[in-house]
Amino acid sequence: MTLLQAIDVHKRFFGAVALEGVHFELEAGEVHALLGANGAGKSTLIKIISGYHAPDSGEILINGNSMRTNSPAASHAAGIATIHQEHNLVPHMSVIDNVMLGRWPGRFGVVSVEESRRKAKEAVSRVVPGLDLNLLGHQLTPAEGQLIEIARALSEDARVLIMDEPTTSLSPREVERLFKVMRELKKQGIGIIFVSHWLEEIFEICDRVTVFRDGRYVGREFIKDIDENQLVRMMVNTDVPEVPPVERKPGKEILAVRNLNKTGVLENISFSLREGEILTLAGLVGAGRTELVRCIFGADKYDSGEVLIEGKTIRRNSPSTAVKAGIGFIPEDRKGQGLVGLLTVRENFTLSLLDLVAPGGLIRKDREILISKEQSEAMKVKAASFESNIMSLSGGNQQKVIIGRWLARKPKLLILDEPTKGVDVGAKAEIHRLIGQLAESGVAVLLVTSEMPEVLLLSDRVLVMREGRITSQLNRSELSPERVIRYATTEEVITQ
Amino acid sequence: MNILRSTMQAFRRIQVQGLLVAIVVLGVIMSFASDSFLTSTNLINILYSSTILAVVAIGQTFVILVGGIDLSVGSMIALSSVLSVGLVVIGGLPVGLSIVLTLLVGVAFGVAHGLAVTKLNMPPLIVTLASLSLASGLAYVYSGGKNIIPVPEFFRAIANAQMFGGKLPVFIPFAIIIAVISYFVLAKTSFGRMIYAVGGNKTAARLAGIPANRIIIIAFVISSLSAVIGGLMMTVRLQSGSPIIGVGMELTVIAAAVIGGTSLFGGQGNVVGTLLGVILLTMASNAIVLLAIPPNYDKVFTGLVIALAAGLDIYRQRKDTRSMTRLTKRSTTNSVLSDKQTVNKQGA
Repeated sequence: MTLLQAIDVHKRFFGAVALEGVHFELEAGEVHALLGANGAGKSTLIKIISGYHAPDSGEILINGNSMRTNSPAASHAAGIATIHQEHNLVPHMSVIDNVMLGRWPGRFGVVSVEESRRKAKEAVSRVVPGLDLNLLGHQLTPAEGQLIEIARALSEDARVLIMDEPTTSLSPREVERLFKVMRELKKQGIGIIFVSHWLEEIFEICDRVTVFRDGRYVGREFIKDIDENQLVRMMVNTDVPEVPPVERKPGKEILAVRNLNKTGVLENISFSLREGEILTLAGLVGAGRTELVRCIFGADKYDSGEVLIEGKTIRRNSPSTAVKAGIGFIPEDRKGQGLVGLLTVRENFTLSLLDLVAPGGLIRKDREILISKEQSEAMKVKAASFESNIMSLSGGNQQKVIIGRWLARKPKLLILDEPTKGVDVGAKAEIHRLIGQLAESGVAVLLVTSEMPEVLLLSDRVLVMREGRITSQLNRSELSPERVIRYATTEEVITQ
Repeated sequence: MNILRSTMQAFRRIQVQGLLVAIVVLGVIMSFASDSFLTSTNLINILYSSTILAVVAIGQTFVILVGGIDLSVGSMIALSSVLSVGLVVIGGLPVGLSIVLTLLVGVAFGVAHGLAVTKLNMPPLIVTLASLSLASGLAYVYSGGKNIIPVPEFFRAIANAQMFGGKLPVFIPFAIIIAVISYFVLAKTSFGRMIYAVGGNKTAARLAGIPANRIIIIAFVISSLSAVIGGLMMTVRLQSGSPIIGVGMELTVIAAAVIGGTSLFGGQGNVVGTLLGVILLTMASNAIVLLAIPPNYDKVFTGLVIALAAGLDIYRQRKDTRSMTRLTKRSTTNSVLSDKQTVNKQGA
């Protein structure tokens, strides 16, 4: 029996295409994987199915009936439940109360303790038999919390479970337990939508897989009819441009990272980066790339290991030390971590240059304006006035201001974390050109990007990360989208 | 693309201008209501009474600008009063040394506040609330709950020192000098810029290489030090080392800063606004004395003005956020447009 169908669903956000004619279906008693790289549209479809967004066009059928009203309540009533990565239990309530949350049985508002316990026990025994029902939410491990969420869904007679990357924070043993529960649920006729980036998991637990790419439907296959290579090929955009030839000649070593460790985040990271070289960290969101560059810049602490600039260890782990050592950092979250929204364009330009524009501590406005002017011209920043508020600029222009802030320091190493996220096409090309120029002028560039074309266009060398480890190194000549995706999504560790 | 900026500045100006208007209106009303208001003696008296509040409120402005708050200043005033006199009277130290030690106690409290906030991630409200009790308690313990007299000769000399032929108490030029220096530091130095940057977005400031934690610690030290200086001034004025002076003054101090347009969210405000806030509150107290209104109405008035100022702060904050979100959205979707066109659209 078909529990759920999505037919030709389209969705745009503020003009940007999120889904363009995708299809999906879920049979009773199957685990169906939803697969795609970051930004493929998986989350959007899930949010539509669970009623948080309405599709622009297309249809969602539940048990063959069209879902009329699109709201979380309607979707809930239709038997669809979402199990989140991080559980949403009330920390100071017992397992019983958490399972029965908001539906406590009783009369006249007086909760019947016996009835609650009986119903909760019945649901919990289907997923974690033997769990103490009096434990409080915060006493449960993340894995147990997740199972209790499943129990809650079961007690509400859910027929469709959406599991959005449920294994992210689980140990291998906990993953096994979760899979066992999922197999039980299958037997009971429940359908599960399983979102995961890990191909091994998909081959282990799923019956079918649907692949999206850039908001489009690529295909649907039975797991038993397909192998890993075929799946990777489905995920990869085949229209990616040919890798242009390399011209840069890297010089002496600028950055060396040795055995960097941070519990649960980074594992034994070592690499080096040379003058005039662009090194890209590729991998999925959550692979530890941002965490790694933040450690290098001193924004976060690490447990052990060493960061060296031109052979010298950076002792004190702080951004101000890193800046003095010649490192520049363009963070991922422009608004939250890059800009001071209350300040002007000029003041944001010189945020990292106060020692240069304020000799002896006294700000020389003429120097600020000079630097702002130079950098704006070099990068074609569009701003009515340097005295405008920074938030009045477009995303691309804001990003150029942040980049200019570092260029004026002439850094030895520039770290860029998703530098073209949320900027328009024109600014993107401008930023790409700039990164190339930087490398040619001898700056060592460490780039984090999730966009495959950007990886292929800019990198001299790529390190692929997965779960806090470097899983492979690819030189420009070895670079291909298939390889990057493969190393980002499978266990296999390639040592060069 | 000046619309947003100028709207924001306009809001800020409205507050500063509103304050000026309020001060003038109150002045006009008072000059009709009371014969003694518009005398030079009374006007100098208002300024004189403003000085201590002004010094402490300027210090507080630094802390609020970095996104903190310092509730301990009232108690620090009391502690510095009993210490500065007591170290001479009870401890037998020379007066110069006692003043230096008192200032150092202020520095120690400020550093402790700053470290607790930055290194232990404790909320400034709680940290300085603890110090409010701690410093007041220490002042009582040290003084045995009594006033310590007589004050050293030096304190008497300052109280009697007058400038311009005995017309102007030295506190007034002293407070003005402190205000001018603070204004200069905030507006013209890289330290001042860092204060605004840290208060506006600590993460961004830190990632731009600004030692954000150090800036926050220094701001707390400035506040504690200014409270100690205020305590010394109070001691001079009252001619005794007293554990009860300054008690509860933290609220008036914070009120002055907030009325003056310093945002409790950090990153916005300046010394001029704070000074106007101080003068408005002092004039109100003065009016209540001159009009023989029961003194408790002073607190009622202050309370109302704080509520009004805080309300305005929230309102302004929402307005800023809203217009910014709108603007950012628009400029990202229409980024092909030149800025000029966007302005036109905005205006239309």
